[in-house]
Formats: sequence, structure tokens, C-alpha cells
Amino acid sequence: MSYAAILRPIARPGLGERLIDALLSGRGIWPAVPAIIVLTVVAVIPFVILLSLGFSDIVVSRGEIASQTFSLDHLRNALTDPLYWTTFQRSLTLALSTTALCLVFGYPVAYLFLVGGRWTKRLILVLTIAPLLTSGIVRTYAWLVILGGRGVVNSTLMGLGMIDQPIRIMNTHWAVLIGMVQIHLPVMILPLIAVMSRHDSRLVEASENLGASRLGTLRTVILPLSVPGIGTGAALVFTLSYTTFVVPQLLGGGNYLNAATMIYEQVVYSLEWSKGSVSSLILMVTCLIVLVAIALATNHFTRWTRGRDA
Amino acid sequence: MMQGRPGPATKIATAAPVLRIGAVSKYFGTFKVLEDCSLEVAEGEIVTLLGPSGCGKTTLLRAIAGFWEADGGTIEIDGQEMARVPVNHRPVGVVFQSYALFPHLTVERNVGYALRMRGLPRAESEARVAAALETVSLTGFENRYPAQLSGGQQQRVAMARVLVMEPRVLLLDEPFNALDAKLRGTMQVELRQLIKRLGLTSIFVTHDQEEALTMSDRIAVMRAGRIEQVAPPDEIFDRPATAYVADFIGTSNFWAARAEAGAVRLPDGQSAVTTLTGDVRLMARPHNLRLEVGDAGPWRGRVAFHRSIGPLVEYHVDMADGATIKVAAMRQSIDRPVADGAPVSIRIVDPALCAVYPH
Repeated sequence: MSYAAILRPIARPGLGERLIDALLSGRGIWPAVPAIIVLTVVAVIPFVILLSLGFSDIVVSRGEIASQTFSLDHLRNALTDPLYWTTFQRSLTLALSTTALCLVFGYPVAYLFLVGGRWTKRLILVLTIAPLLTSGIVRTYAWLVILGGRGVVNSTLMGLGMIDQPIRIMNTHWAVLIGMVQIHLPVMILPLIAVMSRHDSRLVEASENLGASRLGTLRTVILPLSVPGIGTGAALVFTLSYTTFVVPQLLGGGNYLNAATMIYEQVVYSLEWSKGSVSSLILMVTCLIVLVAIALATNHFTRWTRGRDA
Repeated sequence: MMQGRPGPATKIATAAPVLRIGAVSKYFGTFKVLEDCSLEVAEGEIVTLLGPSGCGKTTLLRAIAGFWEADGGTIEIDGQEMARVPVNHRPVGVVFQSYALFPHLTVERNVGYALRMRGLPRAESEARVAAALETVSLTGFENRYPAQLSGGQQQRVAMARVLVMEPRVLLLDEPFNALDAKLRGTMQVELRQLIKRLGLTSIFVTHDQEEALTMSDRIAVMRAGRIEQVAPPDEIFDRPATAYVADFIGTSNFWAARAEAGAVRLPDGQSAVTTLTGDVRLMARPHNLRLEVGDAGPWRGRVAFHRSIGPLVEYHVDMADGATIKVAAMRQSIDRPVADGAPVSIRIVDPALCAVYPH
């Protein structure tokens, strides 16, 4: 091939190609526009409508909204209603203890992943990800089989002669907690593994070479470096378990009330959309407060990352 | 902090070795990574493990540090068998390839790490950290994080971090890999002088022959899990024990010849002494060859290519028999380099420096 052929001027690209190039250049928010449109239609607009319901007095006549006036009554009613306080308190306790237990059970698994051999790592990944391939509802139903009156736990304990009649686990706070921890454990383990394996594995060797015991290495090297993972995992598990609906509904029996099941009853059974709207708002705001607290705590323990670009 | 140690030069010959590696073997599955490696390192000596990647040099270093167990053989430090001594109790300091500094700790806390883990009193620990930082000229950097330091500074922190614990054996795993070429040269000389000043017994691992020649008192050339030759740099360079060592260190020319009656005839008409008979391989360094313009000599060829490497000019000469021979000549301002394509003949300067290997 002659050089002349290679050096021939490149044909001007068509309009479509130039448009796509401009999109991919990363200037502006254009690549995100489709997602923004979808989210606006299916999330932002409905949410604004829902909020408007919570802050207005509506008079309905003949199936149509006759008048809608701004009002803080629903919010005031909610904040003075003891049922709200106990329900949100229960949700918060449940979510925080789920988060704490997920950390307690998940961290050792992530540690094992860090120090383990190739096959240990593979096994942990498979066992962590496999449950995510089935739906949460299916996994929750599995607990009915395990925790029920004639379930695996009770029949084993009775078979061993440790109890003479089934203990009641199903439809209690404990059943909900057990289910929540199991369902959300992978969400804690995965960020921990991701953060831990980001660091040079020689750091652990360096620590041991410098005279640290395994516990010393865990305390002074692995733990401080995995704080971002703990933060991410805690934030995810907290958000999911604070707003969860399926697990309390199925394992807590019909009468276990947390924030999500309360909103469900308000909207679906008693058709009090204004109440549901206010409850959702409280749920969202309290969730954000906890998330900010987690973020601040994470930042506090990772001050060293700030010096990076200085 | 370590000035009390006896200087290296006086003790090498007499004292018992600090580190004794006896017939160490290591398998990964059925694959033999280390085979019968033996090496003794004297007080204050720097021995380099040199070889291409996969030759087992890092494996041997990690076995000394205790990161993994050898499958056979012994590793002794000051006469004490190390097999049952766990990593964190070995008197060994490792400077890692990419330094492995703790990113979440300041320079001061990185350097003081070993002392904190040993539970030293705070005052003593602080004094020793300050002394170590002064040794590597990093005073004033105490509160920086590793990410805020240059590559050269990070390397010095890594040195200070192992120096504070006064190890009996210092292990350096390709410590210059993360540095750019220019800095590497300076740091090599600096680090060697520092280690020598402190009188530290060291094992240095590299695949870079120039680094090995600069840093070492002795070089152990490794090949496929075995140590091929252990000798001082000059001897390794001038009298490589095997063709592999000759090929790996420096530039070399090889050609086939026949040895008879204790001598082998060189292509330029001279002869070299050998104990071998039959088919042999001859090796000559480029600087042991001299280029003569014209085709007067018996070993003739044409210059195929030449290039200037600093003070030297390297010629690639295509010989009549098809081989290519590399010749190095000092660059002299009065002479113009021999032009490409010019007919030349090659003469061997010192036949005694030609190495003879079995075929």
C-alpha cells in the first residue's frame, strides 16, 4: 500500500457519528439523559404527588377531588401518635441490630477471603453470591420451613430431647431478625471483600515481618483499611433492612408492624393515602439521618485518604 | 543505632556465617521451584540473588523471611534453625518490591510500627524512630502519609521501617522496580553505601544485572530453581562458570569450536587453554575483541550495524560463516567510527579471558 493511500484525507463523519462522539466525550450530562427521563417519570413525579397528598386537606365529592388545601395536620397527627413512635422505633432497632449482626457475621468471612487460598476465596464468593440469584421472597419462605413449629430447628431440638414441645420462633421478633440477617449478609460481605482485596496483600506480610501477631495485623492494618467497606456495607444493609417489607410480613406474621408494613396497611387496607405519604416521608428522612451519621463516622476513620492528592 | 557493629571488611573471612541456607528445596505441587539451594552469607555481606523471573529468587527470599516453609533443607540465622520460628519472630527485615508501606499511617507511625508491635516504651520508641529517619535523611517528614511522598522517599521510609528493629538479616525484594531509571542509579549507590555503613547482612533480589553488579559483594546467579554460580561481581563477569551465566550477565558472543590436547583454537589464529576435549562453545565479551579495518586478519566479516552507548561504540559484525559478533570499542574523538558495510577483521585481545564451555 502506498503512503498516499494512507494519508488520504479522512472523510467527514456523518451527523449521527458526530452526535454519538459528542455524547461519548463525557461533557455535560447528556449520556445520563435517558435514565433521568425514566426516573423523573416513574419516581420523582409520583413521589411529589404522594408528598402533596400528605401536606394537603382533600375534600372528595362524587369520586373527584373537590378541593385541595395546604395543611400540616397529617404530619402533626403522625408525630403525636404513639403508634408511629413505637413502629419507627421497632424499625430502627431491627435495622440497626441487623446491620450490627451482619457486620459481626460478615467480617470474619471477608477476613477469611483475604487470608485464604484460591479455593477458599472461590468458595466464599460462590456461597455469598448464590443466594442473591434467588428472590428474597423464596429465601424468606425457606425460613418458614426451618423455623416453623414442625420445622428443622424444632424437630431437631425435640429429637435430641432438649425440649418437649415446639418453641415459638415463627411470627416473633427473633424470626424477623434471623431472616433479615441471612438475607442481607451478602450485601455486607461483598463491599468488605471489594475493599479488602483492593490493598496490596504484601501489607499483611509486611506487618507480620515487622513483628505483629495475626491479631495485631488485624487490629492495626486490616481493620483500619477496611473501614470504607464497613461504611458501605453498613449503609446498604441499614437502608435495605430499615425499609424492608417482605421479611417482616412473612416471618413476623400479619401483626408485626414495622415502618414498611405500616405504610402498606395505611395505603392498601385503610386507604389513608395522606397518612401513608407522611409515613413515607418520615421513613425517608430518618433513613437519611442514619446514612449521614454512617458517612461521617466512615470519614472520621479514613482521614488518611484525604492527604492523598496533597 | 547500629554503629556498634563490626565493619564488614574485617570480619568476612573469619566469622561464622550470619545466614546459612543448606540444600533448600520447595515445590508448588509437583513443580520444583527451588532445588538444593545452598548459600552462606557472612556478617555485613550483601549477596544478590540474580536471575530471570520465575527462577526462584523471590521464592528463596520468602522462605528466608518465613512467608512460606521450605519443603527441604535448612535455613539458619546465627546458627539457629529458623524452620520453627514464625514470621513475626524472625530477626529478618524485608523491604518489599512496592515497599508495602501502610497507607493509613504517617511516616512516623510506619517507621515506629515494629517497635509498637514489640511494646517498647514510648520514649525509647520515639528516639529510635527519630534516629532511623535521620539515617535515611527523612527528618521533617514524620507527619506525611506515604501517598504524599515520592518513590525515592517511600523507599527510604521502607528502609527506616526495617532498620528500627535492627534485623540480623536484611532482605530486599527488587526495591528499585518502582523507581524511574535515572533515580534508580543514584538510589542504588546510596542504598549500598547505607547498608555498608550500618554493616547489615543483606540478601538482595533482582533480575537486573547492572543493579546486581552495583549492589553486591557476591552474586548468586539462579536458573530454574538452582544456584548456578556464587562469586564476586568481577569474577561473575570475567569468569562466568557456565554459558548460562555468561549469557545472562553482560553481552557475550558464542561460537562453536573443537578442543584438542588441552587447547582450543580461536578463529583469529590464537589458542586458549582448556581442560575439555571435543565439541565446545567459546565465549568472548565484546570488549575483549578488537576491530581492524580491512580484511588482513583470518577472522573476517562486514560491519552490519553500529551504535553509540555512552563512551562505547558497539559494532555488530556479520562474519563470513553467518554468525553475528558484537565488538565494543572505546569512543575516541580522533577516530571516526567504522562505517556500516565496511570489511573488517576481528582479533581477540586476551585469549585467556575467552571462556570455554561444554557443547
